[in-house]
Amino acid sequence: MAERPTLTEDEFRRLCEYLYRRTGMVFTEAKRYYVERRVWERMAETGSPSFAGYFAHLRSDTRDEIQQFVNAFTVNETYFYREDYQLKCLTNDLLTERLHERHADDPIRIWSAACSTGEEPYSIAIWLLENWPRVDEYFVEIVGSDIDTRVLELARAGTFGKRALMRLPPELIGKYFDALPAEHWQISPQLRDSVSFTSVNLLDPAQTRAHGQFDVIFCRNVLIYFDDTSRRLAAENLYENLLPGGFICLGHSESMSRISPLFDVRRFADAVVYQRPGITRS
Amino acid sequence: MTGPKTILVVDDAALVRVYYRSILEEAGFRVEEALNGLEALETLLAGPVDLLVVDVNMPQMDGFTFLRTLRERDGPIAAIPALVTSTESAQTDFAAARAAGANYYLVKPVERGQLVEFARMLCGVCP
Repeated sequence: MAERPTLTEDEFRRLCEYLYRRTGMVFTEAKRYYVERRVWERMAETGSPSFAGYFAHLRSDTRDEIQQFVNAFTVNETYFYREDYQLKCLTNDLLTERLHERHADDPIRIWSAACSTGEEPYSIAIWLLENWPRVDEYFVEIVGSDIDTRVLELARAGTFGKRALMRLPPELIGKYFDALPAEHWQISPQLRDSVSFTSVNLLDPAQTRAHGQFDVIFCRNVLIYFDDTSRRLAAENLYENLLPGGFICLGHSESMSRISPLFDVRRFADAVVYQRPGITRS
Repeated sequence: MTGPKTILVVDDAALVRVYYRSILEEAGFRVEEALNGLEALETLLAGPVDLLVVDVNMPQMDGFTFLRTLRERDGPIAAIPALVTSTESAQTDFAAARAAGANYYLVKPVERGQLVEFARMLCGVCP
């Protein structure tokens, strides 16, 4: 068994710099305890006898080691219908505006970036089914992504506890979920098929661009985990992922204006959202 | 005693299938799904279906091709009633749908009540 490492200042700095370069996630001295604990766990898991050995393994990224390392640090707590004022805004204003500016046969593409265990993209699907009378008129494509492959597996499985469902009215739980033992519920297989899940690092333009352009992107409470440089890079990538005139929704405490000048601020009755310019509005 | 009537919803959009399913199940129907005409033909061979709800625009085999293929077959499946749904932009009309073998044609967005009313009528179910 590997000995639990206490990283030297230099080792800690090199590790943090490397992780930042590869993932955009910032680890500081304040997180040293958690980083060291994670290094120790991964050393044991990979059979590395020393930090130097493990760091070499991490840098070679065999078996997706970077992914394995950061999986433990991504914050994954969320619940259905969280910040639902933005979902109201989606059906009251955003989609209406998008429909004016596109060809009738184009699909409507919605991306839940950093979707964790799936609550947000499934919430979008349920919200559209319940609140958008034109839902059968268009081909709606909902994509959920996260950097953390472990949570994506959970999202695909679609099993949720009581806490995740606390904001959903009981009739919707009955309608879209199958009850499991021990106060757990599984999303209905049909609804599960309406969302596709994929792993995306928001800081890697090759990964973000591979998914094409969207009408609306939800990227809530994600950019707060990045430093200024990474935040700006992620915002630029997301901009490229929006169709001209497309919208991006951030968390209630986040402001795109402080991150990037690329977007227009749009104030609707239910929410403030950000828009990629490019369409002349009447 | 007969069980609930079975409706096969044929649409390539997953969310549309969930939407029609929830409306029809709430009204007491059993619902099967298919993503296109080819899948629908397979489903029809697997078990009895009382009504088809068919979208026009679908990949692989569109709604009209599916209905024409179905109507040319032998046996009772050729006579299963069909409700065709399509968007206005598809530039289809009732005459074209009828010629392909549809019994009725509804323009999307289809209202909940309207879908249930037509389903009941075509399945011979009293509300």
